[in-house]
Amino acid sequence: MTQPVLELLGLSKSFAATQALKDMSLSVMPGEVHAIVGENGAGKSTLIKIMTGVHQPDTGTIRVDGQPVTLKSTQAAQDAGIAAIYQEPMVFPDLNVAENIFISNRAKGRIMRWSEIHAEADALISPLGVKLDVRRAASGLTLAEQQTVEIARALSLKVKVLIMDEPTASLSAHEVARLLDIARALKAQGVAVIYISHRLDEIFRIADRVTVIRDGQHISTKPIAEVTEDGLVKDMVGRALESFAVKTAANPHGETLLSVKDLGLQGTFKGITFDLHKGEVLCLAGLVGARRTDVALSLFGIAPATEGTITLAGQQVSITTPQQAMDLGIAYVSEDRRKLGLAMPLSIFANISLASLGKLLKPFGLIDRAAEAEMAETYRKRLAIRSPDTLIEVGKLSGGNQQKVMLAKWLETKPRVLIFDEPTRGIDVGAKAEVHAIIRQLASEGVAILVISSDLPEVLALADRVLVMREGRQAGILPIEEATQERVIALAAGQASAERPAA
Amino acid sequence: MMKLTGLAFAAGLATLMGSTAMAEPVTATPGQAVNAVLLPKFLGILPFDQANRGAQEAAAELGSTGTLEFIGPTPENSAAGQIEMLTNATTQKQNVVMLSNNAGDQIAPAAEAAAAAGTKVVTWDSPIPNGAGESFFVAQVDFGSIGVVMADMAFDLAGGAGEVAILSASPDASNQNAWIEAMKGTMASDAKYKDLKLVDVVYGNDQSEESYNKALGLVDKYPDLKVIMAPTTVGIVAAAKAMQDEGLCEKVKVSGLGLPAEMVSYSLNGCAPQFALWSFVDLGYLTYQASYALATGAIKGDVGEEFTAGRMGTFKIEEDPGRPGAKRILMGPFTVYTKDNVEAAAN
Amino acid sequence: MTLLTRASPQTLRLLALALALLATILFFATQIEGYLSPRMFNRISTSAAVVLPIAVGQAIVIMTRNIDLSAGSILGVVAYMAGQTLSSMPDLHPILAVLFCMALGAALGAINGLIIAWGRVPSIIVTLGTLALFRSFLVEWSDAKTITTASLPQWLVDLPSANAFSIGGLDIRVTVVLALAAVLVTGLALTFYRPARRFYAVGSNPDAALMAGINANRVVLTAFVLAGAFAGLSGFLFLAKFGNITVVAGLGYELKSIAAVVVGGVSIMGGSGSMIGVLMGALLVDTIDNSLTRWAVVSEFWRDALLGGLIMAAVTVDTLASRQLARLRKGGSE
Repeated sequence: MTQPVLELLGLSKSFAATQALKDMSLSVMPGEVHAIVGENGAGKSTLIKIMTGVHQPDTGTIRVDGQPVTLKSTQAAQDAGIAAIYQEPMVFPDLNVAENIFISNRAKGRIMRWSEIHAEADALISPLGVKLDVRRAASGLTLAEQQTVEIARALSLKVKVLIMDEPTASLSAHEVARLLDIARALKAQGVAVIYISHRLDEIFRIADRVTVIRDGQHISTKPIAEVTEDGLVKDMVGRALESFAVKTAANPHGETLLSVKDLGLQGTFKGITFDLHKGEVLCLAGLVGARRTDVALSLFGIAPATEGTITLAGQQVSITTPQQAMDLGIAYVSEDRRKLGLAMPLSIFANISLASLGKLLKPFGLIDRAAEAEMAETYRKRLAIRSPDTLIEVGKLSGGNQQKVMLAKWLETKPRVLIFDEPTRGIDVGAKAEVHAIIRQLASEGVAILVISSDLPEVLALADRVLVMREGRQAGILPIEEATQERVIALAAGQASAERPAA
Repeated sequence: MMKLTGLAFAAGLATLMGSTAMAEPVTATPGQAVNAVLLPKFLGILPFDQANRGAQEAAAELGSTGTLEFIGPTPENSAAGQIEMLTNATTQKQNVVMLSNNAGDQIAPAAEAAAAAGTKVVTWDSPIPNGAGESFFVAQVDFGSIGVVMADMAFDLAGGAGEVAILSASPDASNQNAWIEAMKGTMASDAKYKDLKLVDVVYGNDQSEESYNKALGLVDKYPDLKVIMAPTTVGIVAAAKAMQDEGLCEKVKVSGLGLPAEMVSYSLNGCAPQFALWSFVDLGYLTYQASYALATGAIKGDVGEEFTAGRMGTFKIEEDPGRPGAKRILMGPFTVYTKDNVEAAAN
Repeated sequence: MTLLTRASPQTLRLLALALALLATILFFATQIEGYLSPRMFNRISTSAAVVLPIAVGQAIVIMTRNIDLSAGSILGVVAYMAGQTLSSMPDLHPILAVLFCMALGAALGAINGLIIAWGRVPSIIVTLGTLALFRSFLVEWSDAKTITTASLPQWLVDLPSANAFSIGGLDIRVTVVLALAAVLVTGLALTFYRPARRFYAVGSNPDAALMAGINANRVVLTAFVLAGAFAGLSGFLFLAKFGNITVVAGLGYELKSIAAVVVGGVSIMGGSGSMIGVLMGALLVDTIDNSLTRWAVVSEFWRDALLGGLIMAAVTVDTLASRQLARLRKGGSE
């Protein structure tokens, strides 16, 4: 048997309190396509960053061609023959294609011989089956073209291991086919390709072996011939399945409050149709890049939809600004608390009152500070925000408490429809349960709730129904009784067998 | 030309004679504590440094036990910096601020506040145009006579007829503006100058390169130009250099107000055969003498008061003819420099 | 349309700039008597020669997504100290004098670069500080003394009027040759010297630069050192041309250099720009400035406003054109 080109032995890596990788081992043979699959948060990105020299493992050994190596920078990883291409390519928009390819190639000397560079770039690009003028600037290249540039860059460095991280997440079917062809061609040249994707069909088309990781641990590595889609999904989801599968009976649904028909935003998502009832929790499930957040943003007027209709309480409405959405009683609790949700340097009470200052006005447009403080105090108690008072800077609170402050801010606007985007990302288990309880409580009070979550157990615990999206399309709606982790993943990953019963 | 210089002397003489006709001039008691600030337009050019030398000399002579600070804004921040520094001096309860104003009337409120708080404001070199807040202005020369001498130098250099242009400092500089007005007035009122034509006034903002480029712009714009009159020490030397670099010294003569030390080579090679100036050292000396007398109460700052100013003799406070309601002390006279006397003055 | 989408944005920009320069010259030729003359050529070429080196340095800094507001103050310090040095050592070899100016400028630039690259302070703040700091240092150092032409060695006084050569009645002065050499060397380096390409890379996509193993800190430091050295060269030319150096020397040159660079099509967002563009930008700004001075229609007070308006127009047109172009391209590729 030939020697593995890359071996990872017993890698562990922690960030603060989070253990991202535990005793991870992996070996990759030259000329194989080795797929790595796992749920969001399983530790794939940490693994990639260690292989490319961005992070260093706490413990464990990396061997290249049998020799132990230390990858202390991306440059070191490239020197060792390991390079990566990402979902979001790293190109220099102002430089031309050829220069993008050779930018970090130190073997080329100090003088740029442009005709030589262009010829060599051409020679690297054309076998990839892409027509690309190597003299043009990289700005304005499509994502697929940018990836091609990155692949060519990796090839120019004579890589032994090329990592492809979700390379097809934003590509069209045609572009995916071409990328897979490129991967096969690389394999034929003896390059080891580590292929990371959520899309099981691609994995079955391209991979020689597939490794499943879960919770930062290695679960299995098998030749592709020995695995089935169902088996892979089971390995990815793991045992956790049973512990969350128990679900309280769905709330009796009230009247239809929000009705969305054929909603679409050009180039982003299309054909989203669902009814949301009073007191119902509808979860939007799907893989990263399924465009769930875009749907939420269009309902909240940040990126208004370009097609389809939105009906609220029987009235057709058009929502083009967040102000309109708020006036209609729609609130959006965002995923990115820093960017969209909270003013970190301000106090708790200032954040809570931010969206409803209009109600706190005294004559001459002054703010009624006493009423503001009282309002904030009420929420602090009701939502159990862990802080002695409401004067503390929000930036100093834990993630879970920040989440509650943001929730309080929106609750004060008395919303009819409440959209949660990843409400428990990055917060600890205890706070997570509290947030879940609050969401169920709100639903029982008659608020219609839309939850976007990539955490499947959470989806199954919270939802009355699950809408699964895949690549900007609606893959199906499952009532909670029919929703299992396998079926949701199958729909999200585009497994053909699961699609029929759901449609 | 010489007649005019004589006129200026005569004016100085008249002042002296007037003084003897009045009551005895007062002499301030030396050795008192006067905290004073000398605030030029900005730091870093020679004339203001010379004024400081004069002021320090006077302070030493008078044996003031207080302080004399020489502070000023940086060039790019002149107007705003002056106002800020005047205000600071007021809060520090300085006894007197000696100001060469580069902020026009904008500085008047700060000067009035200073006066109200007991910090006297004495201007020198460049006054506050409306006179508000200022005790009096120590005028280097009679502004009217500068107009006459500038018109006369232009007359001489142009050979009695031809085009003249002015290269001034900044459009806000009240002393330069007053001199230019005086020159225009002289040219309009005396038939002698009827063949002299003042074609343009441009501004070099006391920067070498801007003044240099503006001077070249003038000769391009007015092909028949005979004289560039620059009533600013930075402008005159930049204009002279420009004419020399372009080989235009035969055709276009540069004149105005300049420092002998900076102008000596241009005087000798004929690019700037005549220019005028007073002594900035003396101006600083007299300003300090007057400010000390004012701060110690020897004089009140009223019209008609006379005082002795050390080695420079006796001076009298009078109405400022150029600024109704404001008062001045006239130093005078200035010297006209030619190749015959410039070398001696330069050293 | 095909031309618009096929030619690179840079090429289009340069084309537009060349047209603007031509239009400006033609316009003033109808307005100002004797405009198209060797004399006018001299005026503009020698005046642009002082700005050009400092603009070259500014362009390098802006390419890395930074800005150098202290360039004018560096020019002033160098011009003054070089004048002092040459007064006391009149026998210093001219080449050594130029090298002294560039080294002094580079040292001041290094102060900027170190704080910006390793102190992680935005360049606009650091150089705003050093703008005042270097100038105040000069005020202190100069002790209110003026450097006068009389104290300078004769070769330096004669330098601005020295001719390198003449083409068809147009005199090319030595100072112009020096400035053009700075443009040419930098232009060639930015095109053919691999380490110099990193200025573009860092400005174009700092994250990608990191992933590509480029030491961005070192690149930024180098950019500021070069900017200082070029400001120093401008300081030398300033000293030679104007002779009389006071503490206000070079005041406002940071803005002149930024204007030339931005009008010359160097993106203020970094990553792109060419020395040909900087050359044309400096020429355009200087041509307009010099022509307005000689144009009877415009009063003294409107000149600066017009110049400012023109620069804003250039940047606006540039932004709109690039956006439109991007749209055309996108439309074309779908």
